[in-house]
Amino acid sequence: MAGQSDPHLSLFSPSEVEFVAEDEIVEIVPNIRMEALNMICGDFGPFFPQIPSKVPLWLAVALKRRGKCTIRAPEWMTVERLTQVLDAERESPREFQPLPFHYIEISKLLFDHARDDITDAYLVRSLIEDIRDVRFHKVESGLETISGRTHAVKLKNLSAMEVNIVRPFMVRTLQAFYKHDSPQMIQQADNTGSRSTPVTDRGPRRDLRRR
Amino acid sequence: MPCYYDVNDILMEEELISVVFQVTANGVGMLDPGAERNTVEKGAKVDLPFWLAHGMLSLEQAVSINVPPCFTQKTRKEIQADAACVDLRVRCPYFYELGCKIVPLVGDKSIGQFLRYAFTSRYKEILSKAHSSSTMTVPKFATRLTKEEAQVFESARESMSSFRKWRVGGARLQKASILGRKRKTKLPDGPSTS
Repeated sequence: MAGQSDPHLSLFSPSEVEFVAEDEIVEIVPNIRMEALNMICGDFGPFFPQIPSKVPLWLAVALKRRGKCTIRAPEWMTVERLTQVLDAERESPREFQPLPFHYIEISKLLFDHARDDITDAYLVRSLIEDIRDVRFHKVESGLETISGRTHAVKLKNLSAMEVNIVRPFMVRTLQAFYKHDSPQMIQQADNTGSRSTPVTDRGPRRDLRRR
Repeated sequence: MPCYYDVNDILMEEELISVVFQVTANGVGMLDPGAERNTVEKGAKVDLPFWLAHGMLSLEQAVSINVPPCFTQKTRKEIQADAACVDLRVRCPYFYELGCKIVPLVGDKSIGQFLRYAFTSRYKEILSKAHSSSTMTVPKFATRLTKEEAQVFESARESMSSFRKWRVGGARLQKASILGRKRKTKLPDGPSTS
């Protein structure tokens, strides 16, 4: 992975982000009777046939693969909701729509393991792809505004995977900009002698995205 | 960021810099390929690696450092014309690192601003290509980048390609190569465990 050569850039691989996403709660409809499962992270169940129950995604996938349940697609994973989100994403060029923090990972896991439980799976999938593309394009155009004076970047509603993709690039970019904008490099050009000027002025805080 | 263990920081110091000797130095004729005796005359123009030039400057002002060609007016004009098209790797692969180190050593104070201008304008080009370029082929413009720019570019490209790989899918759990081998070698022997 990109970060491994440089210990300062902590980077998760996509599959590690997926692993984190597996703790998200989803709703399943079991078709078996089973006692409650007592895990360190909590107790789940007991399960009765046709009675919906909430479990972590990893458990849902494990049960689904054994044919013991059907997974109910989350309410945001419907064609109507996603169409709304996509339109809103396209209309507002500077802000991101609220979606689950792990929407990319959750949708991929569900498509891989519970494709038959999703209505209009093909359409939903392409909608999610479109949303991801639109959002990523926004991230890129936001990155264009970075300069040495950026010292806080607000990315509201950005999801885990999206952050993870731009993280190494952004960290290195900011490191480079800070180095070139440091007072040792620039101030000397303005006034050679006076080194007493404090370094507090870093300009106004510039948001990457305005709310 | 430069640090003691940063190999790029060490390699950067190998860059040759043209210096003018302010004193006559005995016994270092090997530094000047044109020297007839084992001496470098006062006023001789010699190319020295940065670490040596730096050392001799701080020692007793034995040399004066000329601004390297990659920071002269000619390069600046080219950068101003079209920053993204200038092949900085040929001029100096450690363009920014060398620039940062050389600013305190030479009289020219505008190098700092020049570096910032160069990076800011070239950054736009890197950004526009970094996340969208294909994973297989390295785009042509990547050969024009300096080491630092290439690191920025590669980090974006790698994280994007690992994301694409993840999305396409594949085996989630990989079997360790040793597992398959062990069984094959053991079967003929029977259960001879130790």
